[in-house]
Amino acid sequence: MKNALVIAAREFEEKRFVAYAAVAFAILPFIFAAIPGLKANPADTIVMGALVFGTAFAIAVGVISGASFIGRDLSDGRMSFYFSRPVGSLSIWFGKLTAAILLIVGTFGFIIIPARLAAGNHWTRLVSASTTYSVLYILVIAIALFLIAHVISTFARSRSPLIVFDFAAAVICGVVIRLLIVPLIAGEASVIISKLSIALAITAALAVVGGGAWQLERGRTDRRRSHLALSQFLWGTMAVALLIAAAYVAWVVSVKPGDLTSHIQATRSTGGPFAVITGTSKGRADYRAAFLLNSEDGSMTRVDPWAAWLTRYARDGRSAVVPRRAGAGNVADIVIYTRGRSEPADTGLTIKDGGYSISDDASRIATISYPTLSVYDVAQKRSLASVRLPEAIYLRAFFVTNDVVRVFLNVRDGMKIVELDVRAHGLRETGFVPSGNAIGAYPDSSAAHMLLRSTHGDTLTLNDARTGAPIKTLVSGTQLKTARYLRDGRIAFIDGPDSAAVLHILAADGTPQRDIALGAKQFTMFIGDDGTRIVLTDLDTTSGKKMLESINIDRGVIERREPIHDWVPSGVFDPRPPIEPLREVFYVGDAGHILAWNPATGGKRTITGG
Amino acid sequence: MSDTAIRISDLTVRYGRMTAVDHASLDVARGAVYALVGRNGAGKSSLVRCLLGQQKPQQGTATLFGGDAWSRRTSLMQRIGVVTEDADAPPEMTVASIARFCSRLYDKWDQDSVEARLRTFGVPLNSAFGSLSKGQKKQVSLAMALAISPELLVLDDPTLGLDVVARKSLFEEVIGDLADRGTTVFITTHDLAGVETFADRVGMMENGRLVLDEDVDALKSRFRRIRFAAQPVAIDAAVLRPTVMRSWGGGAEAIVSNYDDVSFERMRSTSNIGAAEVEAMSLEEIFIAIAGAKS
Repeated sequence: MKNALVIAAREFEEKRFVAYAAVAFAILPFIFAAIPGLKANPADTIVMGALVFGTAFAIAVGVISGASFIGRDLSDGRMSFYFSRPVGSLSIWFGKLTAAILLIVGTFGFIIIPARLAAGNHWTRLVSASTTYSVLYILVIAIALFLIAHVISTFARSRSPLIVFDFAAAVICGVVIRLLIVPLIAGEASVIISKLSIALAITAALAVVGGGAWQLERGRTDRRRSHLALSQFLWGTMAVALLIAAAYVAWVVSVKPGDLTSHIQATRSTGGPFAVITGTSKGRADYRAAFLLNSEDGSMTRVDPWAAWLTRYARDGRSAVVPRRAGAGNVADIVIYTRGRSEPADTGLTIKDGGYSISDDASRIATISYPTLSVYDVAQKRSLASVRLPEAIYLRAFFVTNDVVRVFLNVRDGMKIVELDVRAHGLRETGFVPSGNAIGAYPDSSAAHMLLRSTHGDTLTLNDARTGAPIKTLVSGTQLKTARYLRDGRIAFIDGPDSAAVLHILAADGTPQRDIALGAKQFTMFIGDDGTRIVLTDLDTTSGKKMLESINIDRGVIERREPIHDWVPSGVFDPRPPIEPLREVFYVGDAGHILAWNPATGGKRTITGG
Repeated sequence: MSDTAIRISDLTVRYGRMTAVDHASLDVARGAVYALVGRNGAGKSSLVRCLLGQQKPQQGTATLFGGDAWSRRTSLMQRIGVVTEDADAPPEMTVASIARFCSRLYDKWDQDSVEARLRTFGVPLNSAFGSLSKGQKKQVSLAMALAISPELLVLDDPTLGLDVVARKSLFEEVIGDLADRGTTVFITTHDLAGVETFADRVGMMENGRLVLDEDVDALKSRFRRIRFAAQPVAIDAAVLRPTVMRSWGGGAEAIVSNYDDVSFERMRSTSNIGAAEVEAMSLEEIFIAIAGAKS
């Protein structure tokens, strides 16, 4: 310890001119601030000047010190000055290391501290309290660069062919780290990525520090043996660390559906057996796993969690179209899972930024990479048409038939309706609905008619879904909550105050058929129907609980209620009702697991978790 | 306490495919002065680095006072003064700051002796080490090495860069004095004339191999130059082994490595070798003869 301090003092004394230079740089911002006619506030000039000079100085000192403090002494044959004295390798290493780090920190402090004291409140104005920590990051970066420069200097100055191995080892480390990070990115595990990165960075820093001590102990005055010792220690430590990290990442990503315990979310096909369930699990921080469930055969297939909310379910209930991350950014390949087939079909189609719609039988896919709308045929794996869409604030596209894609484009003064007919290869504007507000449009199964509701209005109208022409005003000024077409073409909407909500059933032409009192309900949403029952989710104002409600529209009564923790969205990506009847509803239970509920019988079964 | 200050056993040092020291073994008794000679690149400095625990040999051991030089370097260095081949102190350090730094590392340190020696050498204390001549740097290193009253002084080519006066002073006043006081000295040098007067034992390295390791007196007593008036001369190799045989004037000159008076007189009386003149040889001449014979 004493010898290490003696060496540190000697090394520091050797480089005292660097401290003198730092003092000169500390004065410079004050000189700039004193220049007559300077427009900037003098205190701001001092702070900015000190930050710029301090950062540049710390980084320069870090790199230069790292490149010279061991490697140069070895190559110049000056290490024997220490090794011919009664001083241990550890003392030499830690003495030199201490001096170098003190020099970096000290010179940075020389430049920053006077400015910090002189600037007073201007410092906290320019460098907020939270970013004061980022000023310290400069030191961390400078010290990291110092360690990196030391390693490179030792390797380069030894003139050993071993440097080829070092290069290969560095590349392998980079590749392994990338391989470890990619599945974590896919699992949106930013906390794990952050902690793993910090752990690997600290390990690398410790490996360099430990490697330096080992290098001097094993190599002493011999630069090639020094290089060999540092290589062995550094890459050996990194190999062990990466093996541990790989084992940890392998365990994290090996999560099974039953392991999901929290942050569980899901989407599901209203009329088919498919659902995508995502969630985090105990001990795996924020790593999110996702599985495609086929409730028909109970199979669970791992899918990309990133794509969980981008999965589309065919209206006929036969298929689920799932994006699969392809490379960096928001680029994904599209695969299709079909009932009765264990392996997905690759469409050969790549999408960017996730905008796409599928035809009722998933045989065609429309991609929207605004402003381009393209239609692909899945079987033929080729583009059928591609057109440029008009300018819009928000748009929604769906297949009317396999050949026709209709797009609702919300523009500033209303909603524009356009159609792409792949046979004609042309985009045609078919209608327009003027409105001062954004409009929600809900077409019927055939897309001939639609329900229109302005987001800030309290009116529900029946319109032609192709031209937008109004047919009938269904309700106005009754505190409309939600509206939707049923599978058989009838209309359902809920209105009334939160204390007394009412479900209205109307014929396809808007003729009222039945009103059913729901009681005190808020946040009502339709989930689907089986022809006899409508299932909706709401917040029961009396109990304060979220509920699933099964309402028999033939008898006009609420048949069953099921308290839930949260609902599982279904049919949210297609504005039309599903083709198949609703048989089971998924929801998130209080324990955080996914349950399936039969609205006809009230039967429940656990899907996952819990 | 062991009587051996230095023991090198089967020491081998390799740099890649090149063997710098090839299975060298030698002992140096306490209080002895050992001179290791050899051409540049013979392996002397590699052997010294192993001796000082600065380099781990691939094979064999180097022990100092019974302790392994590699594993016990730190404690052993308290007892050993070192003057390295190349002046290794940081060039920006002044002589005074080098002395101050060294004084903090050694248990024993005689600052007065350092200052006195440097005064003798004419080296100013406030000079930057880098501004000194090669010879002055060696003198500074020597002053530092002697400040701890070392039990062993290791000098790796200490005369390199020294002028004639300084060289004479080094050998006669410093090393001679140390030898008289019983300090063990291990010196590598090219200056055989300088060490001849006080070296007790001499070793010679050639291409990494220790080809000679012998007491100086014994070595000098068995090497002789014999000049014959006539040639050719037939020398009975069983009696006298000529290391070098060449023409000299009208006769011949032989350098023999196993000379003794009795054998020579017997040979002269029984053989027809004519007139012959026998001369003793200096270490330098012996070194040249051996090196010439090897090449």
